Amino acid sequence: MPPRDASQSGFEALLAPVVASAYRVAYHLTRHRDDAEDLVQEAALQAFRAFASFRPGTNFRAWFLRILTNLHYQRHRKSRREPAVVDLEDAPELYLYTQTAKAGLHQLADDPATLVLDRLDAGLVMEALGQLPEDYRVAAALYFVEELSYEEIAEAAGCPIGTVRSRLHRGRRLLQKALWELAEQRGIVRELEGRKGTE
Amino acid sequence: MSALDRYTCEETFRRLDDYLDRELSPDEQRLVEEHLRVCGICASEFRFEQSVLDGVRDKLSRLAVPADLMARIQELLTTESSPRGNPSGENRPE
Repeated sequence: MPPRDASQSGFEALLAPVVASAYRVAYHLTRHRDDAEDLVQEAALQAFRAFASFRPGTNFRAWFLRILTNLHYQRHRKSRREPAVVDLEDAPELYLYTQTAKAGLHQLADDPATLVLDRLDAGLVMEALGQLPEDYRVAAALYFVEELSYEEIAEAAGCPIGTVRSRLHRGRRLLQKALWELAEQRGIVRELEGRKGTE
Repeated sequence: MSALDRYTCEETFRRLDDYLDRELSPDEQRLVEEHLRVCGICASEFRFEQSVLDGVRDKLSRLAVPADLMARIQELLTTESSPRGNPSGENRPE
């Protein structure tokens, strides 16, 4: 066994490169900065206590995210027991593609998706993600922030790969609908539509 | 290559999300890419979806992280490691 200090420094050396993205994931899970910071700190403490069970050479990031995600779920057991009923009827596939085409935005740019997204500030995109049901938000946060594979997300979220795939694909549709609605509410769609006649 | 070796628009579209997420088998990926080379509509839809994912990822990465987060965690771990912080030594890594 290494001396305790070496163990702590060894743990910190593995944690330091993942702590920023873990905070971003935690923020999307909790939707509050203070809660996100608290979640990461508590997850770090739990991971440190369990560090003896971590096998060197395996994926520390996935191991830590599993602890963080579990901790988040433990704190919100009520919502975990009640999986969201998601109605996708109003959010068909290619939602944003279809809406931007209907609004005539494909005439304005080769990349109409970027045309719209460039006008949505980061806070609005985070707000759109925050509107997803919890299980979908967890999968989406791990996907977008950590760029994990389906298998890694399944490991971190503690669910089967098929469930991850379904949550990601459905969540993507709901996210597109939320983004479009925010773009409409903020006058971005109207502004872009107004440019059609001038370009 | 025969027509049987090619994906239709429907078969390609069914794989859109898995393709964007790099979760297809090498054979499926090749067939999707071959279809996208000859079908402008599917290519346009796939490009759009990829662009949305890239844009969302970019925006989400802009969330500022507290500068002292790691330092606070280190303090917490040091307290945990000290006999006073964790008198029983329970769960303490050795």
